Amino acid sequence: MTGSSVDLADFLPAYLAEAEELLGAAHRHLLAVETSVRRGLAHPRAVRELFRALHTIKGLSAMVDVEPIVAIAHWMETSLRHADRAGGRLPEPSVEPLMEGLREIEQRVRQLAAGKQAAPVPAGLLERLEALESIVLGTAPAQKPAPAVLELDAAIAARLSAAEKEQLTTGAAAGRRAVRLDFVPSAERAAAGVTINSVRDRVAKLAETVKVLPLSGPAAGGGSLTFVLLLLTDATDAALLEAAGGEPASMRALTGAAPEPAQAVPAAPEPEPALLEEEPEEQRRGAGTLRVEVSRLDEALERLAALVVNRSRLTRAVAALTAAGAPTRELTAILQENGRQLRDMRAAIIRLRMVRVGDVLERLPLLVRGLRRSTGKAVRLELDVGDAELDKAVADRLLPALVHLVRNAVDHALESPDERRAAGKPEEGVVRLACHAGASGLLDISVADDGRGVDARAVAARAGGPVPQTPDALLEVLCRPGFSTRDAATATSGRGMGMDIVRRIIVDQLGGELALETRPGAGTTFRLRVPLTITLVDAFVFECAGLRYAVAVGSVDELIDVDPARLVRPAGASGVVLVERRGSAVPLLSLESLLELERRDGQEGRGTKALIVRQRGEPVAFAVDRLVCQQEIVLRPLEDPLVRVSGVAGATDLGDGQPTLVLDLAALGLARGGGRRPAEPGRGRERAT
Amino acid sequence: MSVLHVVFKVDGAEYALPAADVLQMESFTGATPVPGAPRHVAGLVQVRGRVIPVVDARVRFGLSPGERNLDSRVVVGQLGDRVVGLLVDSAREVLKLDPAQVKPPPPLVVEQARGFVKAVAQVGPRLVMLIDFPRVIGEEAPDGDGQR
Repeated sequence: MTGSSVDLADFLPAYLAEAEELLGAAHRHLLAVETSVRRGLAHPRAVRELFRALHTIKGLSAMVDVEPIVAIAHWMETSLRHADRAGGRLPEPSVEPLMEGLREIEQRVRQLAAGKQAAPVPAGLLERLEALESIVLGTAPAQKPAPAVLELDAAIAARLSAAEKEQLTTGAAAGRRAVRLDFVPSAERAAAGVTINSVRDRVAKLAETVKVLPLSGPAAGGGSLTFVLLLLTDATDAALLEAAGGEPASMRALTGAAPEPAQAVPAAPEPEPALLEEEPEEQRRGAGTLRVEVSRLDEALERLAALVVNRSRLTRAVAALTAAGAPTRELTAILQENGRQLRDMRAAIIRLRMVRVGDVLERLPLLVRGLRRSTGKAVRLELDVGDAELDKAVADRLLPALVHLVRNAVDHALESPDERRAAGKPEEGVVRLACHAGASGLLDISVADDGRGVDARAVAARAGGPVPQTPDALLEVLCRPGFSTRDAATATSGRGMGMDIVRRIIVDQLGGELALETRPGAGTTFRLRVPLTITLVDAFVFECAGLRYAVAVGSVDELIDVDPARLVRPAGASGVVLVERRGSAVPLLSLESLLELERRDGQEGRGTKALIVRQRGEPVAFAVDRLVCQQEIVLRPLEDPLVRVSGVAGATDLGDGQPTLVLDLAALGLARGGGRRPAEPGRGRERAT
Repeated sequence: MSVLHVVFKVDGAEYALPAADVLQMESFTGATPVPGAPRHVAGLVQVRGRVIPVVDARVRFGLSPGERNLDSRVVVGQLGDRVVGLLVDSAREVLKLDPAQVKPPPPLVVEQARGFVKAVAQVGPRLVMLIDFPRVIGEEAPDGDGQR
């Protein structure tokens, strides 16, 4: 590649983002298609969306010259086009090759993202995909049943595609009602928040929307425009009318008791593009949404952080003026207003970074599908995530932990169908992931299964310790590095990360909480609580051995003064120092030696202040030299493997252009001080490689 | 077709990186140390709003850490998604290297350079070593994903 490689590099980031999104949609639609195929139904909408996604992937990939993806997408697209023309009908054997095709495309997109070349198409795949074409064609026309006949006005019938008509008739044949809901918009209704969009959203909860057609002309209630919604539903007319805002909306069934052949839909083949003019949904989705690179959002946040730093300086300067007797009342008022504005601005920027939890988890159904196949267990994934949103930075960290918990649940917790039957449970196990926004900026998440529960005795035997008596103690053992309850590493969970990594993500990286509930024979629930954002945090800034550090205020129990005269050095415990705090003795660690810092002035410094944090529930004091201030900081996680270390949550800029480390003291104490032992001066270099 | 390279010095020897892999060069004013990071990581620096790790080339090459002075440079390189700095004694020159000038490194260099040198180029009387950037900045995690 000569000239084109330059172009590729320019377009690649946009291409990767788009491809990722399209693949996500394609997976979702293919899963929907698979579900329908199993029930012997067509799913025209999903087939069409899948076809469009692949068509776009193919086009984009051709632009950046990724031949293997173009080839795979092409053959998938070809068979899907036939399926689309056949009314969204796909034979069951075609699902697996399509899944395989998506997987292979995804793998190549990853390779490109990692700066590598896309691997060639694996042997045989194109042949399998090409063969789909004849499979799809073979099944399409003959078995098209006409189980129900639609009663449609000619004007409406003419505007429906064959696929949409079939969707209505087969839906009706499968026991749902095919109905027509007429909605008449008006200014008064719009003022009350009832618009075609709100009606669509509400109706979508009750029914499958096959088509929405705008009809102009005199309408009920004196309007001049009617939206005709063609629906498949199990809901009652009353409920649907209610969703459409009541009168003058009206309902009509589309399938009559006595089919009249004369009124049947004309079966003439239809040119596809005829419909494109009225696809309001497409427009609605595209309008008002913007894809933004995260780095740009980070940049905006950086600018804001600089403003916040500057404001602190301004506040100090004004305070100095006031102290000197200058008239600063107006200045102070402006400063206060400025503070409010900064807070609003901060909230606005944080909102920009929020992603829907539902979108983050969209790959989980696919994961569970894969597990179903590899473990042979019957399992259903229930997602109850509502509209909850999370900072992208939190979501990116959280996802691997959730994937692990779900994987563990299927792999370890759920029994085989035989065992479940013997235990009097339904054969199909359930893994349920639910989340809702809890109090003050926290998100509560639960991952629950109805499997066999955690056997505390088996866990104890494996760990070689006493049987844990409380759920917390049990969780503690499960989260030990390297702990596993299976002898053989299994294909799914075996080489993945252990519970220790889950805890590290939730507790150490995100500063959240992790808890366990389990009942033998009934199931296990993991409860997680994470902050909605870790990007902007309130922090204490302090000095230690001449360097500045920050620590999240939320992680600090208390700030204390250290009085050297009242330190206790118990006999026999070399190097352990205790500090008295409200009647109890708390171990005092020297942060300086934990950080392996060398003092420039050569003085041995046990700091004069200490921060008390909880380390596995126990208070531990970290001695520092001096507290500088409390301020809001922008936390930037350290992504590079060279500097991703326990005890360092990230870095921030305090306004001097030098990165300042943001410490996670509890994790630091555990990682470098060794759980229970306080740091002994002089140890520590051993870790350096 | 000749390829543009950035040339830098470490302990008197000359090394080169393809200019396409180099984002920029910065003077060095100190790095924020990161406890627990590998020894050859000098620390973190902020480059145009981005926080990146800096690898000390002298330590990485097994040399004693030298004096930092006004000549010290951070060569900021890109490797896939990663952006990592390499702290060198000086960096002043760009060179066009013809593939014909570039030879596999002599066995002695291979042995001593711990695989960091992937080729040598003869430029007039000078010998410039092409470094294996991914290997120098270390693709491996410092501590096996935190589990020691």
